[in-house]
Amino acid sequence: MASSIVPGAVDAAPVKGTSLWQDAWRRLFRNRLAVAGLVVVAVVVVASAIGPPIIKATTGYTYDYIPSNVELIKAMPPFSAADGSFSWTHPMGTDNAGRDVLARVLLGGRISLMVGLISTFVSLVIGITYGATAGYFGGRIDEAMMRLVDVLYALPYMMIVIVLLAVFGGQSPFNQLMLLFVSLGAVSWLTMARIVRGQVLSLKEQEFVLAARATGVSPFRIIARHLVPNTLGPVIVYATLTIPSVMLLEAFLSFLGVGVQAPLASWGSLAADGVGNIAVFPWQLICPGVTMAVTLFSLNFLGDGLRDALDPQMRKG
Amino acid sequence: MLRFVLRRLLTTIPMVLVVVSLTWGLIRIAPGNFYSGERAIPAAIVQNIRAKYGLDKPWYVQYGRMVGNIARGDFGISLKYLGQPVNEILRTSLPVSAILGTLAYVLALVVGILSGTIAATRPNSRVDYASMTAAMVGISVPNFVLGPVLVMVFSLTLFWLPPARWEGFSVNLIMPVLTLSALYMAYIARLTRSGMLEVLRSNYIRTARAKGLSERQVLLRHALRGGLLPVVSFSGPALAYLITGTVVVERVFALPGLGNYFINANLNRDEPLVIGIVAFTSIAILLFNLAVDLLYGLIDPRVRL
Repeated sequence: MASSIVPGAVDAAPVKGTSLWQDAWRRLFRNRLAVAGLVVVAVVVVASAIGPPIIKATTGYTYDYIPSNVELIKAMPPFSAADGSFSWTHPMGTDNAGRDVLARVLLGGRISLMVGLISTFVSLVIGITYGATAGYFGGRIDEAMMRLVDVLYALPYMMIVIVLLAVFGGQSPFNQLMLLFVSLGAVSWLTMARIVRGQVLSLKEQEFVLAARATGVSPFRIIARHLVPNTLGPVIVYATLTIPSVMLLEAFLSFLGVGVQAPLASWGSLAADGVGNIAVFPWQLICPGVTMAVTLFSLNFLGDGLRDALDPQMRKG
Repeated sequence: MLRFVLRRLLTTIPMVLVVVSLTWGLIRIAPGNFYSGERAIPAAIVQNIRAKYGLDKPWYVQYGRMVGNIARGDFGISLKYLGQPVNEILRTSLPVSAILGTLAYVLALVVGILSGTIAATRPNSRVDYASMTAAMVGISVPNFVLGPVLVMVFSLTLFWLPPARWEGFSVNLIMPVLTLSALYMAYIARLTRSGMLEVLRSNYIRTARAKGLSERQVLLRHALRGGLLPVVSFSGPALAYLITGTVVVERVFALPGLGNYFINANLNRDEPLVIGIVAFTSIAILLFNLAVDLLYGLIDPRVRL
């Protein structure tokens, strides 16, 4: 906390305080691993966003473009053309149908990142609403609501998600994606609810809440306008760590064939396609697999860095 | 204590019922069924099939029968694996998953606690950074990438280990167990490190050191007990994750465990098999959680049951 104390300035210059956020930013940028993570994540996001149109413009390949030339419908190693000579056309090679793996990995990146972000958002909404309500009302309501969370913790919810996806999925890729967003969000809000509740429990005893209540603010507005904004620090930290874990869950499901459906692809389903060919075409697994691992690695480092920056006292596993 | 156990055992029943009912409802309202395939079946045959499996009865009769089956511990006969009782499928496939899961978790505990403790006793040292980076890799590399990469290196390049197949306790188990274990090893190492760091700063450790105990005794007799509490509480949810993990590992290494049956049963709408597996694992997870809570009370005298 030393950096937040401005050394007593003797001259007339006005003393400028640093806010919690400025302080956190500075600490974050001093953490080299976290900055590296941030850079890698930014690169992956930008590449997934603008990569596909660039590939289409330069080589004509899209994620599901199968070349009409029969010569090209086969698995080609990275950086090689159909006759085995060096070529820039496929930096990650092609799959068995001659589709460009890079284009597919970038599409997979779009889907995986989207699932990570949207499902985390869903879990944020549920978790914050639930946790803040339980914490604010306290007493018996809190007891009952948190007991339910304990119960839900002990359930094999991934099995229920698999049932849900397997029996309702497969109608259209779009529906499947929606189902993924909601079901993954719906199973990852539990810890968020606990964190928010704990924060609200201690915040609601403070004077500003009393003042708000005294001036006749409704409970809903107190929660939404006064309590929730004050819990954002830990919430942001936990959300950053939820993104990689949700992406991992999505990859699990897609790997098992109940997640993202063809013709769409995610890193999990690409890896599943590649697993059968590892003996002969290892790049089909390595390329999506390593991309995913590096992204998750960076997101985890970024999340850890954010936690240390925002809340130096909360250094837990 | 006894009352606590009894109460928890009693609450297990409604919880399992909720999970099972939810699953049953999902399969029920899902489109598709187990008998329809690519060829159209004559209506008379469909009627016969429905009558044979009791699908022509009202839903509450079928629901009641399902719950009754579970209560008797007999999950009925699979609809897809013709004539095979679900109990028989469970009996042959469960040991595979259970052996895999148990070995993986034990390995994760040993390696995780060891490296976490070493890291905590030398914070910010090179050992600390190395093991925590390794842990981060373990958390970030999905097991369906780790498994095939291990196969590629040890089976297809070095020819040290067989790439797949189940042969009971044999060298075949090394790679699946390692693959499944990596994530938990990483989590446990991180939890142990942060737990131990906190405990090592506490007053009772200073007291233990002050009264002249050797560092080894301080660690083993005093610090570990408190420092491992987060690991113990992680073990409950870990089992639920472990089950999901086995599904993937079984697929990668072609092991005849519960996981593949579960996925296929869902895709086939094989209701008795899905219900059987869900019911069985829910009960196992709930009992395991109870055991973890009891263990927690045993380790931490502040916790009263």
